[in-house]
Amino acid sequence: MSWTHEYLLYDPDAGNRPELTGLVSDFQRFSIHDGPGIRTIVFLKGCPLHCAWCANPESISPRPEIMLISHNCIGCGKCIDVCPAKCFGASDRIVCAIDRDSCLLPECGKCQRVCYANAVNISGRYLTVEEVMEVVMRDREFYDRTGGGITFSGGEPFAQPVFLLELARTAKVLKLHTAVETCGYVSWNIFNSVLEYLDIVLFDLKHMDPAMHLQGTGVDNQMILENAKRVDASGKPIRIRLPLIPGFNDSEENIRATAGFIASFSNLEALDILPYHRMGEPKWGQLHQDYKLHDVAPHGKDRVLELADIARSFGIEVTVGG
Amino acid sequence: MATKIDVTNLPGPTPRMEAIKKRFINTTPEICVERAQLITESYKETEDLPTHLRRAKAFEKILNGMTVFIADDELIVGNQCTKPRSAPVYPEFSCKWLEAELDRLEKRAGDVFLISEEKKKILRDLFPYWDKKTSNELATSLMTDDALAAQGAGVFTVGNYYFNGVGHISVDYAKVLAQGLNGIIAEAKAELAKVDPTNPDDLKKMHFLHAVIISNEAVIAFARRFAAEADKLAASEKNGQRKAELQEISRICQKVPAQPASSFWEAVQSFWFIQLVLQLESNGHSISPMRFDQYMYPYLQMDKGITAEKAQELLDLLYIKFSEINKVRDEGSTKAFGGYPMFQNLIVGGVDSEGEDATNDLSFMCLQATANAKLYQPSISIRVHSNTPADLYRKAAEVSRVGLGMPAYYNDRFIIPALLSRGLTREDARDYGIIGCVEPQVAGKTEGWHDAAFFNMSKVLELALNDGVDALTGKQLGPKTGALDTFTSFDDVMKAYKTQMEYFVKLLVISDNAVDIAHGQRTPLPFLSSLVDDCMVKGKSLQEGGAHYNFTGPQGVGVGNVGDSLTALKKLVFEDKAITLAELKKGLATNFEGVDMESMRQMLLNRAPKYGNDNEYADTIAHEGALIYCREVEKYSNPRGGRFQPGLYPVSANVPLGTVVGASADGRKSGTPLADGVSPVSGVDQSGPTASVRSVARLDHVIASNGTLLNMKFHPNALKDDRGIQNLVGVTETFFNGGGTHIQYNVIARDTLLDAQQHPDNYQGMVVRVAGYSAFFTALDKAIQNDIIARTEQMF
Repeated sequence: MSWTHEYLLYDPDAGNRPELTGLVSDFQRFSIHDGPGIRTIVFLKGCPLHCAWCANPESISPRPEIMLISHNCIGCGKCIDVCPAKCFGASDRIVCAIDRDSCLLPECGKCQRVCYANAVNISGRYLTVEEVMEVVMRDREFYDRTGGGITFSGGEPFAQPVFLLELARTAKVLKLHTAVETCGYVSWNIFNSVLEYLDIVLFDLKHMDPAMHLQGTGVDNQMILENAKRVDASGKPIRIRLPLIPGFNDSEENIRATAGFIASFSNLEALDILPYHRMGEPKWGQLHQDYKLHDVAPHGKDRVLELADIARSFGIEVTVGG
Repeated sequence: MATKIDVTNLPGPTPRMEAIKKRFINTTPEICVERAQLITESYKETEDLPTHLRRAKAFEKILNGMTVFIADDELIVGNQCTKPRSAPVYPEFSCKWLEAELDRLEKRAGDVFLISEEKKKILRDLFPYWDKKTSNELATSLMTDDALAAQGAGVFTVGNYYFNGVGHISVDYAKVLAQGLNGIIAEAKAELAKVDPTNPDDLKKMHFLHAVIISNEAVIAFARRFAAEADKLAASEKNGQRKAELQEISRICQKVPAQPASSFWEAVQSFWFIQLVLQLESNGHSISPMRFDQYMYPYLQMDKGITAEKAQELLDLLYIKFSEINKVRDEGSTKAFGGYPMFQNLIVGGVDSEGEDATNDLSFMCLQATANAKLYQPSISIRVHSNTPADLYRKAAEVSRVGLGMPAYYNDRFIIPALLSRGLTREDARDYGIIGCVEPQVAGKTEGWHDAAFFNMSKVLELALNDGVDALTGKQLGPKTGALDTFTSFDDVMKAYKTQMEYFVKLLVISDNAVDIAHGQRTPLPFLSSLVDDCMVKGKSLQEGGAHYNFTGPQGVGVGNVGDSLTALKKLVFEDKAITLAELKKGLATNFEGVDMESMRQMLLNRAPKYGNDNEYADTIAHEGALIYCREVEKYSNPRGGRFQPGLYPVSANVPLGTVVGASADGRKSGTPLADGVSPVSGVDQSGPTASVRSVARLDHVIASNGTLLNMKFHPNALKDDRGIQNLVGVTETFFNGGGTHIQYNVIARDTLLDAQQHPDNYQGMVVRVAGYSAFFTALDKAIQNDIIARTEQMF
């Protein structure tokens, strides 16, 4: 979590202001693998997909939620004392469980205010466009020197369509380079309304097979594939991203199908193969959700490079790691 | 030169280079007793002579009597000790510590030296002669009791020059290359002709100039011993090619450094003899080649016969020679200077004295040599200005990617004005280089005394919050400025901090000047002095004020901790009233014991803004905390007629200095390390490198004209492709545009370091940048290793 000091504490009233607000799960300044140059990523909370490998599971739910880092707990008991709904469970004074059904979020948030040790964290802040841009503009000089800018990610940024539109429009007024990272599962009307303010689209294709896609992500891929073609047809540069998940979409067949599907695109910059990693696993625990891929080992480097070569045989630019 | 050099495709290491490097890596440092024996004999013979002549005679005896050898395949010759990487002993500066630690040298945690029982006995037999005769003992007698007490409590340490020679200099190498030492001798003789011995000052000058002549002649004779050695080896050499090489070595050593160089090989060899003997005259470290690409380039240009491959190999071999130089320090100092560092700083690029870009082929080749040799010496640096060629910037970034923590980047746009403000001429300021870690000066004219002290700013704040009482010992160390719970405003805190600062900076100045005077009286260095303006004209050694520019530069350590502590006080105590002064007092006194105190510590850690996160509130206070130190230091003068100038860098002293500081208001526990240089406190810089860079640029780097240091650590992935290189340049340029003066990048992954701690045998050759220099990681003390690992890793 890299909240600037102003947004350190969760404010339950922030979402009730007259100005438009969105729910932001995090910022990442100095991102260099999500679009050109040095960038700031704005993570918008909420996603229509539910992927077991998700590295940002706190951005799936469209609501603020508690992330509990028990090893930070010093056993002061303050959160237990202030919680009006008695949500916390502790063992030896160390907080280790939350009754999330009883939690009063998005109201309340008292527990986080008294947890100085950052054991009780709340993912999500209701911020205005201006507040987001205040953070983003701090690194303007870095963007200008490296061709960088702002990247909207998530979650699924299109799941907060009005806020995203306003962010993207404002970013273009400020002459920032804009990128979006999307799963593509959004109605084309919405996508298209934001597209004119985007300089590049980073578009996930998680599986070419509809049944497998449904099984892995919870949704069908028809609209996603349609949208990918429409983005390409719009003339905007597009990069296709394939999170390479062992046992799910890493067959040669799926690589061929993906590469074959995008080989005819006219505005394709590259296919980015993103090797699976387990760095998101601790966050699943902090949300008290099962990480189903606990035993899945990442690919060896050689296998990833082999698959990249197969994709390359379709005459497209392929990178590993984006 | 015969072939044009393609700077985008420079030659890699040759098999000869690889073989010599392998031999180097497999050599364990030892203690060499030859120098100690020779100087002791000489001092016994010359007790009736004036000090300058005694020094010159001793230097002559060392150079005539020490073992000289030429190792297999070497092209650049000249050894410091009987074996490469061994360290000589310099009893005239101090030896009591070495006597006490002789049996620890092989057993200590870092910077181990082997020594046989026989050699220990030799040293034990000669040490008594030096009792009460060293510069160290004279310095102690010159200091005041309160200054000694402050050192004892760890408020500051002047240990470097207190126990050793000064070093920290760059001589006029260009003059030696162009005129030879014969030219220097001729100059001394010309000065001598002007001397009127009836004038008492001239009488002293006369002895000094005689000492200069003896010393220079001794160096010429020393070089010719290598010529003789080469002849001897050539006579029995079977391999025709090697025989020819040895014959060429003999010819060159006969010629240089006595005469001007007229080829690149001659120039490199001449340079090396000077660089080597300076380290035999005194054990000062940070003897820095500085703008090597500038003064050596004419010899590359004039060399019609040389190929790019040969020139690069000579440079690469020279880099191994730099790394062979070694020095034994006391165990305490190895914690502040871990990793056998010699800090020989070589800088490329930048502007010339006219303000135009000075980059040439050799600038690229010097960077390439770092990538080829992959050793920690020399410390390679690059000067960056508005018109630095993109290719050179790129080459530097490529070398950063190698993971040696080098080069360090320096900003002409702010360093040149900083030097102008200290009285350098415009031409001299533009011609600056870097001494040691990060200290700017102009070569051949300056006695900068750059590493005068490490000053513990965090300890001063501790005393300010504790009525001048040392929290660790309970002793009244500073003035009574009021107990913490008697303060009524943040202004009261700042007043107490200022008062304590004034008091302890005074004691620092007394201590530094005592050491300075002692060097002038007991250990003047005639050979070194002869290569720096205006010593010969003034008739004074460097140590007595002979240089054209004279400075004393003590370093403030703990900028981030002082800033974060003051910020937490202002925000949480005086503004939010979330913590009372009485509670804070209790927390600091108990090292935050108990869950309530731990809860308060967490609040101090996590609920106050922190320096290094692009937060103006915290950054402004850190700026002010550092400025109070800097303004105090620059008030004072040194015995050489120069001024004090502050710096803000720690080498690795932030670890030992942390051990004497009690719990602090930034939530830091008692005894843990302080922040490194002007870098944010380890672990609190959670907003990433762009935020850190913006924060650090908010400090006043110009007033800290003795140098500042920002360490950035990146995952190797960060620089894996062209985009990474472009981003590194983007970060550097943004920092420099904002006012930063120095930045360096460590690009080794945290996991690699952890593994290296577990399995040091697998990582013998791994170099990391520690602070202002690079070192073998496995040779470092575990605490320093941990500090490096703990620095927030900046994942690209």
